[in-house]
Amino acid sequence: MNRRLHPAVPAVSLTAMGLLYLPLLAVAAVSLNASRYSVRWAGFSLRWYARLAANDLVLEAARNTLVLALASTLIATLLGTALALGLRRFPWPRWFSGLLDSFVYIPVVTPDIVFAVGLLLAFETARAAFPGLRLGLGTMIVAHVTFQISFVALVVASRLATIGRTVEEAARDLYAGSWYTLRHVTLPLLAPGIVAAALLAFTLSIDDFVISFFTSGPTSVTLPIYIYGSLRRGITPEVHALSTVIFLVTVLLVVLLQLVLRSPKEE
Amino acid sequence: MNRLVIWYGELAGTRPLTLRGLALIALPLVWIAVMLLAPLGAMALWAFATRGPLGEVQWTWSLENFRRLAGYDRFGWTGAYLAIFGRTMLVSAVTTALTVAISYPLAFFIATRPPVGRYLLLTLVIIPFCTNLVIRTYAWMLLLGNQMPFARLAQSLGLIEPAKALYPSTFALYVGMVSNSLPFAVLPLYTNVEKLDWGIVEASQDLYARPLGTFLHAILPQTLPGLATALILTFIPAMGAFVIPDILGGGKSWLLGNLIQHQFGVSRDFPFGAAVSLVLTLLTLAVFAAARRRDESSILP
Amino acid sequence: MKRMPWLIALAVLASGCSRTAGSLSVFMWSEYIDPALVERFEKQAGVKVALDTYENTETMMSKVASAGGQYDVVVMSDHAVRTMIKKGLLEPLDPAKIPNAVNVSARFRDPAYDPGGRYSLPYQWGTMGLVYRTDKLPDFRPSWAAVLDPGAQPGPVVLLDSMRDLMAAALLLRAASPNTRDAGELAEAGKTLLAARTGRLLGFYGSPDSVDKVLSGDAWVGIAYNGDALVKLDENTDFALPEEGTIVWVDALTIPAGSRNTEKAHAFINFLLDGEVGAALSNYLAYATPNEASLPLIEEEMRSDPRIYPAEAELARSAMLEDVEEATTLYDQIWTRVKAAR
Repeated sequence: MNRRLHPAVPAVSLTAMGLLYLPLLAVAAVSLNASRYSVRWAGFSLRWYARLAANDLVLEAARNTLVLALASTLIATLLGTALALGLRRFPWPRWFSGLLDSFVYIPVVTPDIVFAVGLLLAFETARAAFPGLRLGLGTMIVAHVTFQISFVALVVASRLATIGRTVEEAARDLYAGSWYTLRHVTLPLLAPGIVAAALLAFTLSIDDFVISFFTSGPTSVTLPIYIYGSLRRGITPEVHALSTVIFLVTVLLVVLLQLVLRSPKEE
Repeated sequence: MNRLVIWYGELAGTRPLTLRGLALIALPLVWIAVMLLAPLGAMALWAFATRGPLGEVQWTWSLENFRRLAGYDRFGWTGAYLAIFGRTMLVSAVTTALTVAISYPLAFFIATRPPVGRYLLLTLVIIPFCTNLVIRTYAWMLLLGNQMPFARLAQSLGLIEPAKALYPSTFALYVGMVSNSLPFAVLPLYTNVEKLDWGIVEASQDLYARPLGTFLHAILPQTLPGLATALILTFIPAMGAFVIPDILGGGKSWLLGNLIQHQFGVSRDFPFGAAVSLVLTLLTLAVFAAARRRDESSILP
Repeated sequence: MKRMPWLIALAVLASGCSRTAGSLSVFMWSEYIDPALVERFEKQAGVKVALDTYENTETMMSKVASAGGQYDVVVMSDHAVRTMIKKGLLEPLDPAKIPNAVNVSARFRDPAYDPGGRYSLPYQWGTMGLVYRTDKLPDFRPSWAAVLDPGAQPGPVVLLDSMRDLMAAALLLRAASPNTRDAGELAEAGKTLLAARTGRLLGFYGSPDSVDKVLSGDAWVGIAYNGDALVKLDENTDFALPEEGTIVWVDALTIPAGSRNTEKAHAFINFLLDGEVGAALSNYLAYATPNEASLPLIEEEMRSDPRIYPAEAELARSAMLEDVEEATTLYDQIWTRVKAAR
């Protein structure tokens, strides 16, 4: 590539990457510090990780976070894929598909806090009708699925566009029925896109704080809520260790995502 | 009317096709409608209620919350609420401007690497975004502390007083907000820049245009769709932010997000919180509509 | 192979859903009990204790209101107790099951927030005061003016990010009651707080963070709860109660209505009110015990420390916060003005 780039470009890019990574690396460094007070380096130590492993509250929060993410991702991937297929593989009139597009876009552009507030109030109102309704993991799963569907649909639709019509038309030329085409032609080709969308939905759920914060119940403390509480109450170094662990898990997931996206089947 | 069409190689009636299509999209759409629109509706309803003495809701139809938002509370008129609105818009605008300013070069940098490098850089950009907001924010708290190199540097340069930390401050607030928004701006810009017609850029450079001119006339017009998306995905979340202003901004100057959060925490004034959220939503829609007008094409692929 | 993800998901879901039946669910502020004591109770009563924590009262109130039956014992602030009683969310305590209740000091027997002590028993109590640097301020005169009066702020200060507490400080400085419902007095308090926002004000922080800021030298004076300050003080910092008076807070043990483990809940409360256990608790937390029988067993250092056990005269000048009901909106509106200012 022989583009003549202004020298400012690499400089700013480096700064940008620094902005993104320095804080996380600082947290990782501090988590390995034997001293309780971040800035005095007292030697390398894994004791905060050990204490983390023994911390029941954190483990429960981690379990809640995981259950929430897995369950919501599962549901959202199914619904989002169906939505994408329905949007793009059927001859809707232009006005309808424009309307659908906007509709799908609403969760993406609504500010988190507005959505969270709305959910909380909707649950409060619903509780007047159904007194047994409780805020908890179930309500959080429902909340997460709602915004995940749109993201999944976006990613899968993008993949559908890449696949194009040719393969499916070829399948039909060979007298394949529509169900058969779906199962054996479209979906396998779509698979990397679906997996990518699922991983995206999963990370969105893990990343979410605001919505969980407003709609959580007493038994559904998640990791970000736990950390936010610690921030208010006073940070212990275990939180640094916790954050580093989460960071490493995220790196793993994203690497997986990229590997899947670039799978040889796609080429 | 049931016409026969050839759709993706299949000869089918439009009616069965429509039914099949509806079957696929029905559940997700109903889910979004119920779980998103209904809550927004509930919020609009609650905005007209008032808070009872014990923090419970009283279903009176009153505009009191909105009057309060305009500044007319029980103590006369105050500019506090307008100040909150104004500050929120300002912070969002500055955040967006800074983010886009940094994202353009980064998007270019990535787009001009060989393919392997591109994937690597994109992955690197996404990873922090996947880590939780709270974690990222308090990581900044750590990094900007008064014993860390950055604060020491600022102290020695005389920018801040000795032994003072770089947070809480407006600087820390923007650092937090911008680094939180970067991936949302870089990715849409990148998808645009990748498909850039470099011929036009080179032509502009051949004609001795200065770099700024090249940018304004050859690059910017081509990247408008990506820019519009980047603006939307940066500005709108910034308007609702409360974690970063709270933790890095020092809780000294409330933004809309803080005001809303307070109503659902300490003051238990759900109706007022709903009213503020409603106004925030309307503002968001206004911004969205404005940005969309600049770019007619659908943002979906 | 395709079923694996489903199985994993189901297994995780299943494990997440089971809460050991018969375990005692306790809800309190974080880091507010000695884990050793919890273990002791578990062995003694043969029941597992599941401890949940919260960071602010209002969150706790919402959670108990929406899912009360899931907690068996809740430790909450005094004004929260009053509100919860009014809303009918607390279970009356059965005195027969809590023989140790006689240990409670006279002062806490019949509190304003729970007349007759029917729904609560005190857990710990303490005060709110000023934490300051002795190296920078050797002749420090403890007064709310040190943080609130622009003319008297000696250096960088931090304020407490808690609406009722900080407004109480402003009201006390203006010689008004921290529980006033008078709009005029509140407006004055608002003006005081706005005036306090000088260049020397670093920001609004929670109690532990305020202590940290003073410890690190970023601030010279801050407002904090005595327990939070006392566990961290070093040779350059100290804690004192302001001369205008302050807030006495009491955290109380309650049983939410709908709890399914009231037997064990009562047993736990009784356990905590035992003289020896109460002393162990307060010695661990460095807060003051409301338990008369525990007082002799408190470490001498703490017992004679006026910062933990203030003199009678100081206590006479102090008040407990009450729920101001409809006046809450007034407090809110002042608070918004204070927080929204430039």
